[in-house]
Amino acid sequence: MPNQMNNQSVTYTAHGHASISIFGAAAKLIRNLTRHRQLIVQLFRRDFIMSYKKSFIGVGWILISPLISVVSWVFMNYTGILQPGDVGVSYAAFVLLSSSIWSLFMGFYGSGSSTLDAGAEFIQQVKYPHEVLLFKQVLVQTANFSVGFLLNIVVLVILGVVPTLYIFAFPLLILPLFFIGAGLGLFFSLVSVVATDISRFATLGLSLLFYFTPVVYAANIDNRFLNTINQINPMTYLIETIRSLIFFGQTEYWGQYLLISAVSVLFFLFVLRVFYVSESQVIEKML
Amino acid sequence: MQAQTVIKIENVSKKFTRSIKRSMAYGSFDLIRKIVGIPVNRSLLRPSEFWALEDVSIEIRKGEKVGFLGENGSGKSTLLRMINGIFPPDTGSIRVDGSIGALIAVGAGFHPHMTGRENIFLNGTILGMKRKEIESKLEEIIHFAEIGEFMDAPVSTYSSGMRVRLGFSIAVHTKPDIMLVDEILAVGDLAFQLKCLRKLADFRDEGGTFIIVSHNMQVMRNSCDRVVWLESGKVIESGNVDLICSKYEASQINKSYADEQSSQQFSKDNKISLDPQVKITSVELLDEADNAVEQLTLGQPLTVKIRYNAMRKVLVPIFAVSVHNGDGQLVIESYSDKEGLNLKEIAGEGEVVLKLPKFAYRPGIYSFTVMLSEQTQLRKLEWHEKSYKLSLINENLPINQGLTYPYPNWSHHDHRTT
Repeated sequence: MPNQMNNQSVTYTAHGHASISIFGAAAKLIRNLTRHRQLIVQLFRRDFIMSYKKSFIGVGWILISPLISVVSWVFMNYTGILQPGDVGVSYAAFVLLSSSIWSLFMGFYGSGSSTLDAGAEFIQQVKYPHEVLLFKQVLVQTANFSVGFLLNIVVLVILGVVPTLYIFAFPLLILPLFFIGAGLGLFFSLVSVVATDISRFATLGLSLLFYFTPVVYAANIDNRFLNTINQINPMTYLIETIRSLIFFGQTEYWGQYLLISAVSVLFFLFVLRVFYVSESQVIEKML
Repeated sequence: MQAQTVIKIENVSKKFTRSIKRSMAYGSFDLIRKIVGIPVNRSLLRPSEFWALEDVSIEIRKGEKVGFLGENGSGKSTLLRMINGIFPPDTGSIRVDGSIGALIAVGAGFHPHMTGRENIFLNGTILGMKRKEIESKLEEIIHFAEIGEFMDAPVSTYSSGMRVRLGFSIAVHTKPDIMLVDEILAVGDLAFQLKCLRKLADFRDEGGTFIIVSHNMQVMRNSCDRVVWLESGKVIESGNVDLICSKYEASQINKSYADEQSSQQFSKDNKISLDPQVKITSVELLDEADNAVEQLTLGQPLTVKIRYNAMRKVLVPIFAVSVHNGDGQLVIESYSDKEGLNLKEIAGEGEVVLKLPKFAYRPGIYSFTVMLSEQTQLRKLEWHEKSYKLSLINENLPINQGLTYPYPNWSHHDHRTT
């Protein structure tokens, strides 16, 4: 029998969400995530667990790629190709933590940018809130990251670097990275449907940003050009603050970090509003 | 008292773009305007855009079974997606009261490495069911899908039929207030199709509202209370199922007839003459009033008039007429010598007439082949292969999917003793 309990009524018009505010968007996000949390869990289960089901190494892959990346940076440092400046701790430990943070940021970006693609198989057939795809992707990324990060901490200790208590605040410290990465990704998820070239440029731009952010070198590197760029690059303050707090328990960039964090929240809400206003009309271009 | 309106479609239009590049350009342009808050006028067509739906207004009441009928590209599936909230209208509004379930993408989101059981939870959640609801219906879903022993095997090991059965079973158990169904008879084997139809009938009997899109007139006639005929994005007519289905079939037949007349396949030049001295000079299809016709109403008499000109004496001439339906099936084959016309010879000009008292076949286009032989079927003089066309339409007979309509007459005799 049809579900008599369901008294939902909805009206679709051309400008359905045009008047939604950024706070309205936030409220809608929370409402949808709460209502569809089981869907997020089911999709997460499908994508996370199943991605390793056919692999002999399984979740081991989460460790292999960052470790190989660390080995290559350390090798470049050891051979003198890379001069990272005074990083304050062993370079291997420095690059292990920094590249983990950067990969997490890129993971958030990837989660956002694949929001519409992730459900392409049924996005035009079944009605459901598409932002659950973003959070499913974020969960997959976070799960992948967490397993690797716990082992990275063990490796840090082996390398003689004991993280400070700020390590427990890590989930909070990375929030601005989530808002910027996921926000940018969500925006380019829309753009990639109607302007593929621009979203490809964005991906290239982020690859370039890696070199203009003090990830594999110190923030105060002895290079005027890089120093200038680092000073105007908000990512510098986020990465440097998180890294310094975990290594040394202090940072000289609290002010910048908090300001960028606040702006990142507003940026994410702005993009979320754009997403709500545009998603249905962008989705029809996926035909 | 009239039932409550559950779907109200008011002056809805939807446009799409023919060119992909322009579609992307307009999409980018509209996205920028939305970001900066400049409203987009969606009621105007830009170059390369066309109306997939134009000024459509339909009202559907609780418990109604409505069929959307129309050719490919008429806008049926677009309208279904808009009711489902996937595409927004460009003008007008669609109000939906109640939950919607769509039997459209059965099995959407299935993961091949997950078991059938795991996929029930995944797919059921995608379709809006809660975990507890799925748990309570799990056995029913498994039983309906008929894949009990494979339930804990990965879906990748399923046949395509099993996969579709499982997808359909999950979708049909979501129990929405309004069910959207797209080409239901494309699901599984015959037994499963019958089971699906029965499930839909249960849904209907329990007061559910459903909208069905199908090319199958029989499904429309058996399942719907009302039909909406769409063509090029506009509502042509809405109302009585039999009447509109018949009109739609007639329109389809007329279109096919026009297409076929212009196609090479049915060229009137497809005539072979094996004796230059003997000619079939004309063949006419005549109605009851002896008017030459290209279209006839099902069940009416039809006459085939064959004129010839023999410049020599033809001994024991045999005329033959065969009729094929649109699927190429032979429905009539008639030889003059076997059916009462034993001619000894013909010479000069003359005509033979074949009368068919009731031309009662399934509506469609029929092609007539006319032959003339001498003494034996092996000695052909003239052969006009499928050179004459007749479109047959139905006005009010309850014709089904059978090839012919033999004016059936059912009766019942109760043998119980009282």
